[in-house]
Amino acid sequence: MTTHRASNAANWLREKLAEQSDYEEITLGASSQIQLQYLKSVTNSNLVYQYVVVPSYEMDDVQAYEAYIATFPGTGKADDLQKLIEGILEGYTLVSIGPNSYLLNSVKVESGGVGEAINEAIVQGPREAFSESIETNLNLIRRRYQTSELKVETMTLGSLSRTAIAIVYDQKRVDSSVLQQVKDRLKKVKIDILQSAGELEKYISPHRFRIFPNMVVTERPDRVVLNLTEGKVAILMDTTGFAIIAPAVFTDFFSAMDDKIQIPLVSQFLKLIRYVGLFITLTLPGLYVTFASYNPEILKSQLVLLIAGSRAAVPYPSFMEVFFMLLMMEFLTEASLRLPKAIGPTATTVGGLILGQAATQAGLVSNIMIILVSAVAISNFVIPLSMMGYTIRVIKYIIILTAMLFGIVGIMISVVGIIMYLSDVRSFGKPYFRLTLWESKEKVGHQHGKS
Amino acid sequence: MVSRRYYYYLFMISMVINIINLVPRVLILTRFDGVFWSILLAVAYCTLTMYIFTRLIIQFEGQGFPEIFNTYLPRAAATPLLILYSIFWFIAGCILLLSFVDITIRFISPDIRGRAVMTGFLILVVGASRIKATSILYAIETVLMLCLPAMVFILVKALINPAFNWDSVLQVFTYLWTKPKLVTVAGASFAFTGYVNLAIFNRSFQNLKLELRHFWLVPVSGLLILLVALLVPIGYHGTIGVEDHVYSWFSTADSLRMETFVVERVVYLFYITYLSMSLVTVVIYWHVGLELFKGCFNGKESKGESEDGEKGTGKKTRKSRWIQAVILFTLSAIMIYLVEELNQVQLAQAGQWFLNFRFFSEMPLILLLILLVWKKRRSARR
Repeated sequence: MTTHRASNAANWLREKLAEQSDYEEITLGASSQIQLQYLKSVTNSNLVYQYVVVPSYEMDDVQAYEAYIATFPGTGKADDLQKLIEGILEGYTLVSIGPNSYLLNSVKVESGGVGEAINEAIVQGPREAFSESIETNLNLIRRRYQTSELKVETMTLGSLSRTAIAIVYDQKRVDSSVLQQVKDRLKKVKIDILQSAGELEKYISPHRFRIFPNMVVTERPDRVVLNLTEGKVAILMDTTGFAIIAPAVFTDFFSAMDDKIQIPLVSQFLKLIRYVGLFITLTLPGLYVTFASYNPEILKSQLVLLIAGSRAAVPYPSFMEVFFMLLMMEFLTEASLRLPKAIGPTATTVGGLILGQAATQAGLVSNIMIILVSAVAISNFVIPLSMMGYTIRVIKYIIILTAMLFGIVGIMISVVGIIMYLSDVRSFGKPYFRLTLWESKEKVGHQHGKS
Repeated sequence: MVSRRYYYYLFMISMVINIINLVPRVLILTRFDGVFWSILLAVAYCTLTMYIFTRLIIQFEGQGFPEIFNTYLPRAAATPLLILYSIFWFIAGCILLLSFVDITIRFISPDIRGRAVMTGFLILVVGASRIKATSILYAIETVLMLCLPAMVFILVKALINPAFNWDSVLQVFTYLWTKPKLVTVAGASFAFTGYVNLAIFNRSFQNLKLELRHFWLVPVSGLLILLVALLVPIGYHGTIGVEDHVYSWFSTADSLRMETFVVERVVYLFYITYLSMSLVTVVIYWHVGLELFKGCFNGKESKGESEDGEKGTGKKTRKSRWIQAVILFTLSAIMIYLVEELNQVQLAQAGQWFLNFRFFSEMPLILLLILLVWKKRRSARR
């Protein structure tokens, strides 16, 4: 009777986890009476080896070994299947000795190689970022997502680099068409060397010409976990501290993990701020060109006079001024990125003071232009995910160009054009940009109508 | 497949867009000649036709005119019909584009050449009318939701302004008991015309149902918007003075002032919102025209591009892409030629013809659809 139950537990567990790529099963002892089952990524295999595997060879008597295992700190009998699977997912090891099975506490907590998130820093909330080892990263995810529905499939990419890739998803919630597409595209990738997540993102995105990022590249395990619950697929990669999440929609790039932590009013406000920032950084340079040279009558007359007065000494048209200053701004951003930390502040000081102060005094650019350039740069940095930030940095030049050609009409044309383009983008077959305000409500209504 | 709220967006955008262009002009010209009864008649008639048309086209789930015509009509009838209707839709887009260039030059940038503005518009419209139908529906929603607050603001601003002359409005109401005119009914009914775009957009809808709890909004909002389109300009320009303005709503918006905002004149806000909505509307019209035209070359199995955005590379798609390019190029050339050839009077005249012609072609279209549904049922029974 008991034999039946114990082997039952082992078999049940095997059935549940056999397809997980990090599931391991070891049979010990001369008569294979002892069986170990655990998940590699969350289990401290060193501990298992030292205290479970080695003693089994040192002790000849199975009974003595069982007694030894039973006294192991943090050990319990595995009689409840629910507790069993929870334990295994947390990092426990199941030791089946003949009829009896024990759950051993062998939880591995990765903290050695795990650093703080730098690119997506937040105020409160978890600070851990992915490390550059895929094992550690899987551990970070499993620790936050303890269900047997979480599936991990591994493969290698790159004929020379042999980079390990893990496709992670929640079996129950995942959109199967997206999963299939991700797998298909990963299979099609033929490259020699794969070194970063951004590179992989480029290889598996369908369109050759893209303006907007199609997948989120993140360094935060909590973001990956949140997206897994939404039915998305995450791709982890060895040798890089970033994961890819697919599919992505436009609004994903404007959400920070802080939003979950803040009280709703504040988080809505923060989201609004980001979209306002997006709008400002996109249109402000174009609007300046429009107001200074094309349609000055739109603004209040005092404001127009202010702009005109500030531009009085500037010897070239406003779009030259805008291009000139924005280019300097881009140089400054790029330079301070690449410079060693010791010289970094010099660049900002030189750039900020000399460009800002002296250029206006020399009459090369107007005062208002300086304010505008800083506003544009600051509001660009409001965007939480840097990939979208880079895209926006490029797009604003399109708006300046159309503003230069057609004035306010041009700005509207390009804004509507960008909306049209965004609406036409699909990320793994999912609409990238559309309003979903009524979506949840309507879905309920839909089901209601069907029943 | 998209949810059914997009059907109402199609209706809504064509409804609000008509405030600026042909419709208020027609209404205002007949303000002493039965305009109210004409509006009421138009609302009743259009609600009915909209209902019947939608009910009929729902029978062909997920199919646009090209598929329906090619299946249930002989080719000799299907091709001319498709070409006729596509020309219709192209003209609707062209008139809107031409009048918006006119508005731009008159109200926003008087020193820019019409051809330059037209080129700018065409770059957007040509580029955007080739995208997927569902994408256009998403874009309609976004643009509408961005513009509606501004429109409501302008409307409230207009109505609470002390300079708004309610007496003029009441004065017009004294002409309530006059006989309605066919021209006015035709003009007012154009505002409801958004549903006809289902001719192509029906491809994107699945189990579209008309429910009373949504559909009652159609006549109510239609009536309100038509009354607003007629009465607000009268409140500002007076019962007689209002007929001096070609774009009466732009003149009305130009009478308003935002004292505490960086942009002082409301007309710019009005222009921006209506420009974006007009551009989207032109994209809708031209997209429908384009798809209808392509439909007469492709035969039965054509159904646009697949949803995941991966374009086919077969011979057929290449051919249809060439057709598309030729049509769009020709249209653009015609537009760039016309924009400085047509004057305002001719444009208004063309618009008037278009309104009347459209009004009288609505009934035949519905009869044709009834015939097609009957044919479909009969073939299904066999």
